[in-house]
Amino acid sequence: MTCADTHTPGRPAPLVERASVLANERVAEGVGLVTFEAPRIAAGVQSGQFVHLRIAEGAEFILRRPFSVFRAGAGRIEILYQVVGRGTRVLAEAEPGTVMDAIGPLGCGWRIPEGTAHALLVAGGLGAAPMGMLAHELARRGVAVTLAQGAPTAARLLAHELFESVCRRTAYATDDGTAGACGFVTTLTPELIAADRPDVIYACGPEPMQRIVAAQAAGAGVPCQVSLERLMACGVGACLSCVVSTVHGRKRACVDGPVFDAAEVLWEPAEDPETHGDSVPGASPGPAVEAS
Amino acid sequence: MTPAVDMRVRIGALEMRNPVMTASGTFGSGREYADFMDLSRLGALVTKGVSLLPWAGNDSPRIAETPSGMLNSIGLQNPGVEAFAANDLVWLATQDVPVVVNVSGHTVEEYAAVAERLDAEPVVSALELNISCPNVDEGGMAFGTSCPAAAQVTRAVRAVTDKTLIVKLSPNVTDIAEVARAVEAEGADAVSLINTLLGMAIDTNTFRPRLARGVGGLSGPAIRPVAVRMVWQVARAVSIPVVGMGGITCAEDAVEFMLVGATAVAVGTGTFVDPRTPLAVAEGLERFCAERGLGHVTKLTGALRE
Repeated sequence: MTCADTHTPGRPAPLVERASVLANERVAEGVGLVTFEAPRIAAGVQSGQFVHLRIAEGAEFILRRPFSVFRAGAGRIEILYQVVGRGTRVLAEAEPGTVMDAIGPLGCGWRIPEGTAHALLVAGGLGAAPMGMLAHELARRGVAVTLAQGAPTAARLLAHELFESVCRRTAYATDDGTAGACGFVTTLTPELIAADRPDVIYACGPEPMQRIVAAQAAGAGVPCQVSLERLMACGVGACLSCVVSTVHGRKRACVDGPVFDAAEVLWEPAEDPETHGDSVPGASPGPAVEAS
Repeated sequence: MTPAVDMRVRIGALEMRNPVMTASGTFGSGREYADFMDLSRLGALVTKGVSLLPWAGNDSPRIAETPSGMLNSIGLQNPGVEAFAANDLVWLATQDVPVVVNVSGHTVEEYAAVAERLDAEPVVSALELNISCPNVDEGGMAFGTSCPAAAQVTRAVRAVTDKTLIVKLSPNVTDIAEVARAVEAEGADAVSLINTLLGMAIDTNTFRPRLARGVGGLSGPAIRPVAVRMVWQVARAVSIPVVGMGGITCAEDAVEFMLVGATAVAVGTGTFVDPRTPLAVAEGLERFCAERGLGHVTKLTGALRE
């Protein structure tokens, strides 16, 4: 049984909505936060779901781009995006008032297991993009949240103010040591898992990072969910472009995911992420592509 | 209100409310788009390709965006005809829309076995024989690029079903009209064209193909002029109906295909751009005819002034 099957009854049906840009600002090096007025999508979206945006029209933009919803409320949705190619460059230049066609809410998002008292969020780079709503929702339910975030450098850490306001504990790792530990976020996680004994781990980031966190979680016997990124065409389950290899066969990231139980994922040999970024920039129900 | 324009068309025994179908592989089994449209307003719903046994499809990445189009190499991933019948056809039976099932195979025997299995399903109005998929190693396009092979698989399928049989042709040939004539001679009720054009795109950062399989099928507005030309050639060469497709995103695109001889049209990649495209094309076609005083949409078919 897929996530789509189990979650369909409670999920609002996706719809097409004209989404108007209210604000669009640079929040870190190469990363923007865009706020759309999209009341119908905002009313239904759940944490970890995404929207399929028609950023621009014309010959260069046949395909929509999927983006995780970072936060939603009061008729608005926020999207964290990294500028990785043509589509996200256009998005970065969108002025308030620009209207884009959005399909959403789409996909199966994060699941909060019954009785969760402590959760560990692991975000690498733009992996924070689907985690804003999640952190809020966990905190609202009284779950103690620890966030481990990794970035190339301190200036690329994302939304740390938001996370620090809702998380009981935050830990950082940067490639250059300008914030927190020097190294990958996966060097922090074994200690955090041992110290906090979380009931669930949520991971999003570059696929090698997610693979390592999944292995660490499995080793500690902690359930782990990952939000995966794939190139997408339809976004609604029809075209089979975005499949993820799982123990149950190839599943669609757009409707069976983008959030998968890590234990079900058959991790593929490392691909060159640059390939993805160039073909469909900003495709990110999970993280967008790490730039370097 | 009585519609001013009679939009009904007929392909073999398949009676359609309007000429607009969905293109195989772009519409799943229809369920995926039921949230976005009233499926009963489609002329016909054409499903994803179905094979005898489950196919896993190709490795990722499976798509790449290109100017005015996209490449895909999905590789006909599907659960096999039994699972398809048990799940998708059961659901489709609850929908008020003619169902055309796209039939795929590695061998002539497999095509025939799938067709025979589907022949037993009342919900299936017609079969579309996919002899033109460029993304599988065996079968697929191999049958559509040789007249004897196209004839052979059409004959084998014709022998096991009386359902309306549409044969989907490959544009990756020197003379598509010749293949159309070959399948017409073996009892095809209609031909549909074009499937995707074999293409390739390279990532100049990595020096690698952008698709895992290297090559894939090009679709979208980029291929429309090629498709219109091929429909024009085929419609002059055969007397069976032609279903035209290739980059249709609006009613005027559909009109182009009908003017050169298509009886019906299909929307494919246009649905990815906007899920409302197939119905918008159907509504636009009706408006197009009404504005020109055409009482029946079939008046467009072959009305090209040459």
